[in-house]
Amino acid sequence: MDFLLSYIVLAEIYVLLGLSTNLLVGIAGIFSVSQAAIFGVGAYVVAHFLMTATPLSFIPSIAIAAACCVALNILVTLPALRVSGDYFVVTSFGIQLLATAVFTNWTEGTGGANGLPGVPPPDVFGWSVETTAQYAELCTGAAFLGCLAFYLIMRAPFGRLLRAIREDELAVAAAGKNVLRAKVSAAALAGAFAGTAGGLYATFLSFIDPSSFDLDASILLLTMVVVGGARTLAGSIIGPFLLLALPQLLTLVDIPTTIAAAARQLIYGLLLIAFMLFRPQGLAGERL
Amino acid sequence: MLALQLLISGLVTGCALGVVAISFSLVYATTKIFHVAHAGIYTLAGYLAWSLAAHGVPAILALLLSMVVCAVVGALIQMQLYARLAQRRATHLVVLIASLGALAIIQNIIAAVYTPNILQFAQPWSSRVLALGPVRLNYTQLLTVVISLAAFAATMLFAHRTILGKRIRAVASNPMLAEITRLQPQIVYVYVIAIASALVCLPGVLVPLDLGLQPYNGVTPLLTATIAMIAGGVGSITGAFVLSIAIAVLQNLSLMVIPGEWSIGVTFFIFVIFMLFRPTGLFAAR
Repeated sequence: MDFLLSYIVLAEIYVLLGLSTNLLVGIAGIFSVSQAAIFGVGAYVVAHFLMTATPLSFIPSIAIAAACCVALNILVTLPALRVSGDYFVVTSFGIQLLATAVFTNWTEGTGGANGLPGVPPPDVFGWSVETTAQYAELCTGAAFLGCLAFYLIMRAPFGRLLRAIREDELAVAAAGKNVLRAKVSAAALAGAFAGTAGGLYATFLSFIDPSSFDLDASILLLTMVVVGGARTLAGSIIGPFLLLALPQLLTLVDIPTTIAAAARQLIYGLLLIAFMLFRPQGLAGERL
Repeated sequence: MLALQLLISGLVTGCALGVVAISFSLVYATTKIFHVAHAGIYTLAGYLAWSLAAHGVPAILALLLSMVVCAVVGALIQMQLYARLAQRRATHLVVLIASLGALAIIQNIIAAVYTPNILQFAQPWSSRVLALGPVRLNYTQLLTVVISLAAFAATMLFAHRTILGKRIRAVASNPMLAEITRLQPQIVYVYVIAIASALVCLPGVLVPLDLGLQPYNGVTPLLTATIAMIAGGVGSITGAFVLSIAIAVLQNLSLMVIPGEWSIGVTFFIFVIFMLFRPTGLFAAR
């Protein structure tokens, strides 16, 4: 029972990340492999504010983490998108590698490669969340709010503007809309989702280390959106639930533990290619 | 003295990086595909050569054989993946995701077969040290400089003097017109990726000969090479090569003030400066 619940909690955290990746990659059409880095920044910021000498409570920490991630995403996307999309590909690879270097080498701030143990459990307006069941309630709430926000944004004029940009960027620019601002705003929103997810992740596992936020993690996030389906709410929910079940399925197959990680990543790679070739819209998405 | 040694080792790294940059630049300028899987080919080359050498194949033959295999793998990626996607009029984003998928596949097959641990070549001659006055270099480093410069010269000659080179440049500058004049861009793309894949084997084998092999080590050199390509001006072979050397030298000299684990930060800083102030690069064509 606890096992199932912790699967659900993790999947719901990844739903928030899936929404974030979908907003950036699926809807705004910006290729990014630095989503895990932003997620990591959120996790480390929340861990930091919960563990300082005068700790903040959970909600303000999450808010600060989300704000940091929004600021970071704006800072990262603005100069690159001003030039062209391929510059952002380089930027996002750079940010991801740089973030991994910071998480691994800045020992005072992040605990280095050994990670940061003992992140305290959250306290939401006096409700202290300790058991896995309570986490499941918290994360369901958070994922629900995330999905609601995503749904409302997509129905709002801003969502329509983003869709229009995906269809024909030139026409939108000709209609007098500010394309760059819309894209950067989408990236900022993606940052807010990823930062929140990072905070939930850090407190749920109570331990974070750089390996959860590396390039492979970014590829996993991309795979989730590609498999689930780009640009739809359903896609961002299906993807995480399916792909997080995959490692459990792999334990049923008898492969040596030394190559388990590589086998998992290999499957993500195969899924990426197979979906791009045969079903670019994913299981429940729209054309990418 | 330390500065001189760092300068020299920067030059060595820069030459190897330069070949990665010109090979990536060939692909990117011609096909317009951001060929991320190139990092996988780079890694694959080293492992192939290592396996062949471990089975007693002479070093030079191991290098040539790995070039052939990588050229075939590159051509297959173009024919089976990029060409199919192009046929379906896939967006740039879709092609990029597919390329990232190919990279993940190559890297993780290597990791599954050879384990993610570091592997060293057992070639005693390669680490013999040569003292040139105050500077110490080993044979691998010397060989890297010589072969890289030769590869640069050969690429320049190939692009400007041969029929295929001119055809590639024609396709790069205007694919539509090339299609109309029966230069067959889709076939040219296969050639280009095959040539670039063979070319990237040179640093792909020479760098690990000195520093050892790891399955996930291809991304950082490719990223640095891409930055050099952009800073040099997309489409300029000379620009990509020269800027690779400049970036590697700066990175090595920065070791005097910044510890080595932050060198990706130095590279990235250079990229940000270029992006903000000269996004078209130094040697931009036209």
